[in-house]
Amino acid sequence: MKLRNLFLAPTALLMAVTMLAPLAIIVVYSLLTRGAYGGVELPWTIENYSRLYDPVYAIIFLRSFWIAAVATALCLVLGFPLAMFIARSGSRKNLYLSLVILPFWTSFLIRTYAWMFLLRDTGIVNSALLALRIIREPLPLLYNDGAVILGLVYGFLPFMVLPLYATIERLDPSLLEAAADLGARPWRALVGVTLPLCAPGIRAGAILVFVPCLGTYLTSDLLGGSKTVLIGNLVQNQFTASRDWPFGAALSLALMAIAMVLLFAARRKGEELL
Amino acid sequence: MNVTVNRRTFLIGAATAAACSRGPRLNVFNWSDYVAPDTVANFEREFGIRVRYGTYESVPEMLAKVMTGNSGWDVIFPSAEYIQPMRDMGLLARLNHDWLPNLSNLDGQFQQPQWDPRLEWCVPYMHGSTGIVYQRSLVSQQGWTPRAWSDLWDARLAGKLTMLDDPPEVFAACLKTLGYSLNSSDPSQLKAAQQRAIAQKPLVRAYLNAEVRDQLVAGDVAAAQAWAVTAAQAISAAPDKLAFAFPSDGFPRYADNVAILRESGRQEAAHQFINYLLRPQVAAAIVETTRTAACNGAAQRYLPKALRSDPVLYPPAEILARGEWFTPQSAAGQRLRDRLWTEIKT
Amino acid sequence: MKRGLTVYAVFAYAFLHVPLLILAVFSFNSSRFAVWQGFSLQWYRAVADDANLIESSMNSLIIAIVATGVATIIGTLAAYGLWKKGSAWLSGSLYLSLVTPEIVTGASLLALFQWIFRFAHLRLGMHTVILAHVGFSLAYVVVVVLARLRSYDRTLEEAALDLGATEFGAFWRVTLPYLVPAIAAAAMLAFTVSIDDYVITSLVAGVDSQTLPMVIYAMARRGVNPALNAVSTLVVFGLGMLIILSERLRRT
Repeated sequence: MKLRNLFLAPTALLMAVTMLAPLAIIVVYSLLTRGAYGGVELPWTIENYSRLYDPVYAIIFLRSFWIAAVATALCLVLGFPLAMFIARSGSRKNLYLSLVILPFWTSFLIRTYAWMFLLRDTGIVNSALLALRIIREPLPLLYNDGAVILGLVYGFLPFMVLPLYATIERLDPSLLEAAADLGARPWRALVGVTLPLCAPGIRAGAILVFVPCLGTYLTSDLLGGSKTVLIGNLVQNQFTASRDWPFGAALSLALMAIAMVLLFAARRKGEELL
Repeated sequence: MNVTVNRRTFLIGAATAAACSRGPRLNVFNWSDYVAPDTVANFEREFGIRVRYGTYESVPEMLAKVMTGNSGWDVIFPSAEYIQPMRDMGLLARLNHDWLPNLSNLDGQFQQPQWDPRLEWCVPYMHGSTGIVYQRSLVSQQGWTPRAWSDLWDARLAGKLTMLDDPPEVFAACLKTLGYSLNSSDPSQLKAAQQRAIAQKPLVRAYLNAEVRDQLVAGDVAAAQAWAVTAAQAISAAPDKLAFAFPSDGFPRYADNVAILRESGRQEAAHQFINYLLRPQVAAAIVETTRTAACNGAAQRYLPKALRSDPVLYPPAEILARGEWFTPQSAAGQRLRDRLWTEIKT
Repeated sequence: MKRGLTVYAVFAYAFLHVPLLILAVFSFNSSRFAVWQGFSLQWYRAVADDANLIESSMNSLIIAIVATGVATIIGTLAAYGLWKKGSAWLSGSLYLSLVTPEIVTGASLLALFQWIFRFAHLRLGMHTVILAHVGFSLAYVVVVVLARLRSYDRTLEEAALDLGATEFGAFWRVTLPYLVPAIAAAAMLAFTVSIDDYVITSLVAGVDSQTLPMVIYAMARRGVNPALNAVSTLVVFGLGMLIILSERLRRT
């Protein structure tokens, strides 16, 4: 056990410093009052929490959840076959894996701008469709929820592919052989055998995608035309433009609490993520 | 942009910088794209002071860093409505006019600005207005010209209109259509303004700041609420297609100022930098690259005629008289505006 | 099914890479705006002249490499430790790390640093950024490595111990080799997250630690700048060459 404690020590220290201490500060801030020009000051108050009981915020939360859920589902559907392909590609595994990661080493912002480029009224997609006479007027592909979801999927796909790949890669091929021997066709084997066995990877990927999507704000600003406020925008606003740290702190804690509840509900015995 | 001169200047500047690597250093924090390519390098060369030059995108972003009083920056560029709050927070250093002989180069209207009448805390740097950029084809094909903010509520613009993603600016436009001051913190006035913004939202394609320039040139957007600097850049790229209007119902004016942080231990070097920026040739070079309007009156002489008489950057006085400066909001006013803005966007 | 998968993979990779190719194409555009107006290398020249851009790229690389190295090592050890015997509060805090929005992590770290700096006469700088990056990368590393450990046979280590190995020896010789693919995947994930981070970095960076995303965001907010296209094209193709090279070396 001594080894185990030794191994855990550095992480424990880092978590205490970068996670727990700041969290304590956030909790304290959420109970203070906004300073005249930003910052925090006494007196203590729970007003920041009582402000949360406004239906405006419920709408914002629900919309953010919806968008994050759709993006996560799409990542799963699109990422699973890709992870399977990589896991089965033999000696080129690392190459294909790297090709998934490579786009994401450029700035997220630039990749988002690239999509704005493509989806604009005078962008390539619309120009091509117009030239082929499939449409007569440019389609409004940009500045709506669909574009935001597309941006999120594009941004977070590797976070789904990597854990899926890690799980698929170690699957025992004899299990699939057994399924085949028992007469299952490839599709049936996939649904009945592979998928359930990959459940841990799926859950890992889903969390790695869903949670950041929930807190995103750059994507909805750039691809959504900044027309809708998501939780991420709201929180970011409090900490920057509005300089209302106490309310921002309360919002963040509320968001984290809800996310933790969901994660807790999605837990399976013996299959904890962490 | 003369790229060869740039590289040479940069190399000389870098060599000088390397040579005086033990020398004094100045940390300057400015808006992005707000100096000419060789402004900083020339300063380094002439004064032998190495400059670290950082940029930000919004004053709140800058404030977040600087509010601790321990940020490491020396020179900053806050907008006019932030000068008084920052002074009250004890963040700014008092300016020593003995070290700023070039102050007289400032344009007359900026010698005693309303946010700092004695220029004790800041020196106006660049200024501008917010107005409407529109496609000339609106005039030729549809026969109407946007002349006032209220024209941006016209249904003919549906899906081709953008507003600034900036709460004070959007509220300013709405308040002006109702005839109120754009700095209003009166709840009933603000709520009425909010209703107007909500009414306009179905027509709005997106809330965009400087990114709209690209789309104006490409023709995706028919009319946009835009800062004068963005407008000037867009029009220079597509002069036959675009035009700019100063709304007849009133419009906001903004000014960015250069100030020194109290925490800075390099007050003299900072003053030298400000004095350097006040040189007419330096200011003119910046204007030519960035297409903003300088608060430096003496710089006008050094500008090419086209820029000097650019109606977007340097409108005649009677138009400017319709402009209103942004002033700081009270805490309650800011809270209300934030709340209303969130509701608009939901 | 193999053929179907391959076809799908082709489309998936196209989806991932086409936007980048478009970026690259327009980095050679002589016009500043999104309309093609002729071939030009001016934007690459602008990049070479821009000291700010180069310095921030270096900073980004340094931070990413250091943070990835530290986070991968510490995170792997932690995953192993947690697998041996769970720890509710450590798992809880790693969970929290994943659940917290970036803006909150960044703002709270800034608040923490501001507090510390009152007493310690320090400033924000590369060290604060690296610390922050290690902090938020750890959870990703632990999740990926732990996922692989969950499907690992405990008895293998027990067998090693029975055969006389020390605890550490069992870990080093038996378990660790099994974990290598997961560690590689975790390292790649950590590197990606670090080099791409804007929100947290912008809040905790100091005067001397501007990173590439910060410079890019600053430029991009003012309008599309083909110099950015040039930078990202350089980064992507540089890394692409590296990866292909390492694949070649690995196979010889």
